[in-house]
Amino acid sequence: MGGGARKSRKFATFRLFPRAGAADPNDRVFVRVDNNDYTVPGFGDDDAAFDPSLSSTDDAADHFSSGPLPDHLRREILELGLPDDGYNYLHHLRELRPSAASFVPNQDAPPLPLDVKAYDASKVRIASGKVEDELDEGRTMCKVAAKTAPLSRIERAVDPDIARLLDESDASHGGGSEDEGLEEDFVIMANRTEGEEEEDDEEEEVVDDVFLSDVEEEEELEDDEGEPKPRVRRLLDEQFDLLALEEYGDTDDDDDRGVRDGECELPTEVIDELKLFHSQNVSVTEEYRTPADFVHGKLDSSTTEDVDESANVLKKCAEYAEKYLNETAEEEEVVLVSESSDESEMWDCETIVSTYSNLDNHPGKIQTPGNHKKRLPKVFPGETATTKDIIKLQGKEKLPVEYLPQRKRNGVKEKKTKPTEAPTDENFNKGAQKETKEEKKARKAAVKEEKREARKTKKELKGLYKFETQKAQKVAAVTGPASIRLM
Amino acid sequence: MAAADVAYAPPMKSGKMGFEGTQEVQHRIRITLSSKSVKNLEKVCGDLVKGAKEKKLRVKGPVRIPTKVLHITTRKSPCGEGTNTWDRFEMRVHKRVIDLVSSADVVKQITSITIEPGVEVEVTISDQ
Repeated sequence: MGGGARKSRKFATFRLFPRAGAADPNDRVFVRVDNNDYTVPGFGDDDAAFDPSLSSTDDAADHFSSGPLPDHLRREILELGLPDDGYNYLHHLRELRPSAASFVPNQDAPPLPLDVKAYDASKVRIASGKVEDELDEGRTMCKVAAKTAPLSRIERAVDPDIARLLDESDASHGGGSEDEGLEEDFVIMANRTEGEEEEDDEEEEVVDDVFLSDVEEEEELEDDEGEPKPRVRRLLDEQFDLLALEEYGDTDDDDDRGVRDGECELPTEVIDELKLFHSQNVSVTEEYRTPADFVHGKLDSSTTEDVDESANVLKKCAEYAEKYLNETAEEEEVVLVSESSDESEMWDCETIVSTYSNLDNHPGKIQTPGNHKKRLPKVFPGETATTKDIIKLQGKEKLPVEYLPQRKRNGVKEKKTKPTEAPTDENFNKGAQKETKEEKKARKAAVKEEKREARKTKKELKGLYKFETQKAQKVAAVTGPASIRLM
Repeated sequence: MAAADVAYAPPMKSGKMGFEGTQEVQHRIRITLSSKSVKNLEKVCGDLVKGAKEKKLRVKGPVRIPTKVLHITTRKSPCGEGTNTWDRFEMRVHKRVIDLVSSADVVKQITSITIEPGVEVEVTISDQ
């Protein structure tokens, strides 16, 4: 990089760690990981993680790195069972949160015989037997019982939810009505008192509130009754109401008016139909009659005409069929089914490039290793199939001979070809004549040279082979199966 | 009705006009997720991107950094005797990077969604 100073690092890095000492692994905290000065207000240090009781000691001591800890700290550390090695382990302590498990000494009730079961009856109310409306909250079991025992983890006698429901039902029926069920003519009553309904409801709600406020203290109730408390009306609320009226007021006006009046008047057609039904005089006490009987005006059941009826059935069926057919021919509805189009996902170019997962996508292709020093020509004259892509393994060690590094072989072999050819010519020429001493010497020397060279190449090759097998073994250790033995 | 006289006013926009975006400062946030298992990682990635898109933030989709494969090849045998068999152990570390532009609180909300075990989350916040 250039000679300029390093840019100020205006970033903060946080890591998500599970909160220390938390049972739930999803309880995580952002912990700052870098050392820059940049602060982010939203990710400030969590208050719970910071122990306020220790802050005073920290401020005063300001990170003891040298010198022994003050005695009171050391004593505290020792009390906790931590080693006294000059490090302030109190740094890592934290106050117990209310949600964390608190340790309460276990008070087991005296062990009961197997056929006895203990319940917590402290909340059970004792009926006073006097006026039912009076609330005897004072007379709980605790105050009435002659003898009480300390409890811990004993089941409640009355389920709080059930108790609450019972109390509510009591209150709404004016407190302890004897028939807890509905009245017999509740429908008529309900219809009659439609107009008076609203007033009744309000009264009951008031009663409920008064009654339940006491109950709520003892049993942790959700505040259902008190919830729709009107909050302060804002300007926005009025504006919204206006808007709603404007947009929707015209269409709903008629319906709303009807509902608001409280008299759900049925449309006249429905009433007429009902009257019709009423006039049919379906009475229970008389003998059973089907509606068909009424249509035909029969007063008592008789089966004499049934036989004739069945004869007409076929005719009637044919009539109906024709009618039905004609109807369907006229009314052919065209039903439009609109297919829901798949929502087109919006990708930006960076996303598209990276949708491939590394599980499937391996950008680098593995190819056979090329060898620029290959001796053999690529295609022999007369050879039909090109075996360029097959790597042949030769020899005992199964090495790809063609791809091994071959040093000096070409040079050595070329040199050899020339001297070997010359003496052969001379031998042929001088076969009959005797060889001079020099020529004999030269010949023998040449042979010696040959042998020396051969020995040398053999040694070289052997060394090369061993080297290559070692290398191959390393590779095979990672890739090849262990059954193939290389060395 | 008297209410009809009140002119209909458009709902007022909270915050100062011309301030950065909405009330809160926007940062460039980079979330780096790394894990040894791809399935959990991809799930968390998907959840984060989905959460961010629901909040209408600018998201640069999960960029997949090449997987690092750590190899350990050792002899199986504790002594030198026997066929030279080798153990090959590997550990694959997958890494994904997600870039967002939003305020710090929103990011906190998004990352508070359940994260699978084994997925490491690192959040880097910088000025825009």
